[in-house]
Amino acid sequence: MAQIACTHCNLKFDESVMITEEAPHGETHYFCCKGCQGVYHLLESEGLGTFYDKLGDTTLQPATPHSDDLEKFDLEGFKNKYIKIHDDGLYEINLIIEGIHCSACVWLNEKVLHKTEGVIEASINYSTNKAKVVWDPEEIALSKIIETIRSIGYNAYPYDPALQEERAVKTRKEYYSRILVAIFGSMNIMWIAIAHYAGYFGGMEQRFKNILNVAEFILATPVLFYSGWVFFRGAYYGYKNKIVNMDTLVASGALSAYLYSIYAMLTQQGEVYFDSVTMIITFVLVGKYLEVLSKKHAVDTLDAIMGSTPTEVTVVKDKTKALVSVENVQLGDIIELKPGEKVVIDGLLTHGEGSFDESSLTGESEPVLKHPGDTILSGSICLDSVVRYEATKEASDSLLHTIVNLLEESITKKPRIEQLADRVSGYFSTVILLIALLTFGGWWLFSSSFEQALIIGISVIVIACPCALGLATPMATLVGISVAAKHNILFKEAGFLETMAKSDFLALDKTGTITEGRPSVVHEETYKTYDKHLLYALVSTSTHPVAEGIRRYLEKEEASFTPLTLEKIKTIQAKGIEAQYGDTHLAGGNALMMEAMGISCDDSTEHTLFYFAIDGRKVARFELSDTIREGAKEAIAQIRQMGVRVVMLTGDHETSANRVAQAVGIDEVNAHLLPQDKARFIEEAQEAGHITVMAGDGINDAVALAQSNIAIAMGSGADVAISVSDVVLMDEQPQSIYDAYRISKRTYRAVKENLSFSLLYNTVAVPLAMAGFVTPLVAALSMSLSSLIVVGNSMRIRMLKK
Amino acid sequence: MSENIIIVMIGISTLLGATGLAALLWGVKTGQFDDKSKFIDAARFDNEEELRDAAMMEEKKKARKQKQQDKKKNYMPAD
Repeated sequence: MAQIACTHCNLKFDESVMITEEAPHGETHYFCCKGCQGVYHLLESEGLGTFYDKLGDTTLQPATPHSDDLEKFDLEGFKNKYIKIHDDGLYEINLIIEGIHCSACVWLNEKVLHKTEGVIEASINYSTNKAKVVWDPEEIALSKIIETIRSIGYNAYPYDPALQEERAVKTRKEYYSRILVAIFGSMNIMWIAIAHYAGYFGGMEQRFKNILNVAEFILATPVLFYSGWVFFRGAYYGYKNKIVNMDTLVASGALSAYLYSIYAMLTQQGEVYFDSVTMIITFVLVGKYLEVLSKKHAVDTLDAIMGSTPTEVTVVKDKTKALVSVENVQLGDIIELKPGEKVVIDGLLTHGEGSFDESSLTGESEPVLKHPGDTILSGSICLDSVVRYEATKEASDSLLHTIVNLLEESITKKPRIEQLADRVSGYFSTVILLIALLTFGGWWLFSSSFEQALIIGISVIVIACPCALGLATPMATLVGISVAAKHNILFKEAGFLETMAKSDFLALDKTGTITEGRPSVVHEETYKTYDKHLLYALVSTSTHPVAEGIRRYLEKEEASFTPLTLEKIKTIQAKGIEAQYGDTHLAGGNALMMEAMGISCDDSTEHTLFYFAIDGRKVARFELSDTIREGAKEAIAQIRQMGVRVVMLTGDHETSANRVAQAVGIDEVNAHLLPQDKARFIEEAQEAGHITVMAGDGINDAVALAQSNIAIAMGSGADVAISVSDVVLMDEQPQSIYDAYRISKRTYRAVKENLSFSLLYNTVAVPLAMAGFVTPLVAALSMSLSSLIVVGNSMRIRMLKK
Repeated sequence: MSENIIIVMIGISTLLGATGLAALLWGVKTGQFDDKSKFIDAARFDNEEELRDAAMMEEKKKARKQKQQDKKKNYMPAD
C-alpha cells in the first residue's frame, strides 16, 4: 500500500485510511484526520494558504480537538494571576504556544492573531515559542483568542513571566548595549593605535600625535564610563563590603591608566594607554556576559515545565465530578485521574489500579504498578487506566511544586567556590595600590616635584596591572575549554575548569549516567521457529520501554521489516500486549500475562522477562536488563586513583543499585532517593567541606545538579538537567567524566604557572617603576613579552595526551 | 601633510561607525534582537504582504485610540 502525506500535517499514512477530497483544480487532497482537514479549509478560506509553501517538508502534529476548558480563561482568578492591564485599558498576557515546529508555524500563528478582531499586538519568539499578546477586552475575550489558536491546530497556555524572565531579559539587553559600545570603541582605537605604534618606532611629529591622542580619548571615554560601569559598580559594592575583588582591579587599573593617559595627552609628554583601557574593559565584559546568557536559558526551560502542568484536576464529590483549580483542592478530596494525565497533587490511591510513569522522579523508565493504598507522587504520569485517589497534601506542598521551587532558588543561589585568580588578583591589587601610593608619597617628599611623583606613581599601576596577570587565567581556560570541546565535553563557563580541578567528591546518578537508562535484550531463547515480522509488528504498537528494547534488538538483528497491520490491539496493564493478525493470535508480555493465558513459566532470573506467544503457545523468551555503559568501570577506577571520592545516588531500589555499584566498583551507594534527597546529600557533602561534582541526566537529578558545585549532564538528558548543568558530555561516555577531570586539572596547573610567572614579572618590573626607571619603551616591550610567555605556556595544555 | 586632513579622515570614519553603533543600540532597545531565530528566519517571509499586515496592525491601534477619545468626549455622567 502506498504511503501518502497528509496535506496539512505532512505525516505519511496508508492511502486506505486517508480522507480524500477532490479540489477544484483537479488535484486530490489527502487528510489523516478531520482535524487536519478542518484546519486546511480554514487557512484556505482565510487566504493563508501560502503557509504550506513556507512549511516545506516539515511535519506537524495532527490537529486534534481540545477539551472544552475555555471558560476558565475568562474567570476572575485567572485574570488576576496572568493578565497585565495597561494604563489605556488594554490587556496583555504571555503564552507558551505548543506544537510549533518551524518558523512557518510562528508565521501562521502571528498572522491569524493579527487578523483577529480586537488583537492589538501579537509577537511570538521563534526560539522559545513564547508569545506576547495585547488585546482590547471590550472587543474580544481571552477564551476566544485561545480558541483561535486551537482552531488552527496549536495549543496555548499562559505562564507568569513576572519574576525571573523580565529581569533576565533586562540584564541581557543592558549587557548587549554595553558590549556593543565597548567593541566599537576598542576596534576603532585599535586602528588608531597602529598608527601610534608605527609613529613611535618610525618617528612622528608631536602635532600628529596630539590628533591621535584626542581621537583615542574621545573613543575610550564612553567605553570606560558606559561599558565599564559594571566594574565601577562591582568595585563600589566590594568597597562597601570591604572586599577587594577582580572588579576593583579592573576598575582601578583602567581608571588610573585613563587618568595617566589624559595627563600625558595634555602635557604632550609620554605615551597614552587608551588602547589598554578599552581592551581590558571589553574582554572582561564579554566574559561576564556569557554568564548572564546561560542563566536566561535555564529560566526558559523552567517556565515550560510549570506551564505544561495541569492547573485543574477532576474532583469527585458526592458522586458528581467537577473541575477544580489545583489551589482550591483540599486535603481529603478524591481526585480522578485519566490515562495520560500528569499528577499535580500528592495522595493515596483509593480506587482502581494502574501503572504510573515516575521517570521524572526516580529516573527509572519502567512504569510502576500501583494498588489501592499506595502513594501517588506529583510529577508522575498515569499511563493506562482511570483511578481515583485521595489528596494528602495541598498543591503548594506537593512534590512537583517543591522541586520547581527548589530549582528556581538554586539557579540564582548556586554555591561557587572562590576562584583562585580572583583571590590572587584581589590581594595583588590591594598591594599594588598601596605601593603606588607609597611611591607617589615617597617621590613627592624626596624630589618635591608633584608632577614627577604623580607620573611615577601611576606608571607603577600601569605596568603592574594589565597584560600578564589579566591574561593568566582567561588564556589558560580558553585553551582548556577548546581542548575539552575536542573531547566532546562542553564547559559552559571558563571558571568551571578551576572549580572542577579542585573537586574531591563525585556523585553519580545510576540510571542514564552509569547505565544506558533503558532495558536492552541481554539474552534470547527460542522455543520454536516463528516469523519475526509478527513480533516486530506487535512490539511496535507499544511505547513501553520493554517493547522498545525488543524492537531495537530486532532492528539490530535484521535490517528491515515490512509493516503488518494488526487488529484488536489491546494493552493489558502491567502485563503485556495482545493483538490479532488475520487468524493468528499474538501475545507478548511478562510471566503473569502468560499464566493468565494458561501457559506455565517457571523461569527465575534477576532480569526483566518478555515472552512471545502465538496462538496460545510460547515461542520465544527474551531477557532484558539495563546495561552498564561501556568503559564505566575503568573510568571510575581512574577517577578514584586521582583521589576523588565516588558515590552513587539513585532513586531505584537497593538490590539493583548494589548490583550496578558492584559491577563498576563503587563502594558507597545511596538508594531510594527522591530528587530533594539527592540535593540534600550533596548539600551535606558540601557542608563537610567537599567540593562536589554531580553527574546526572534526568529531571529527578536537576535539583541535585543545581546544588552541586559542578554539574555534569549527559547530552541526551532532560532539558532542565542540561540547562542547570555546567558541563555537558556530548558522547555520554563515562570515560569523558575522567577526561573532564584530567583536562581541568591540567588547565588549573597552567593557570597557577601563569599567575606565578606574572607575579614574578611584577616583582621585577614594579620596583623598577618605583625607582623611576621605566621609560615607555621598556614598558611596551616588557608588557608584550610577558603576555607572549603567558600565551605560550597556555598553549602547552594542547599537548595533553588523549 | 596638514593636520586637517587627518582630523577630517578620523572624524568622518568614526562618525560613520558611530551611526552604525547608534542603529544597533536602537535595535537592542526596541527589542529587535530579542529573538535570534526570528532575526534569521523571518527574513524569508518579509514581503509586501507583511508590510500590509504591519500597516493593518497600526490602523487597529489608531482606531482604538480614536474610539477611546470619542468615548471620552461623549461621556456623560449618569444622573
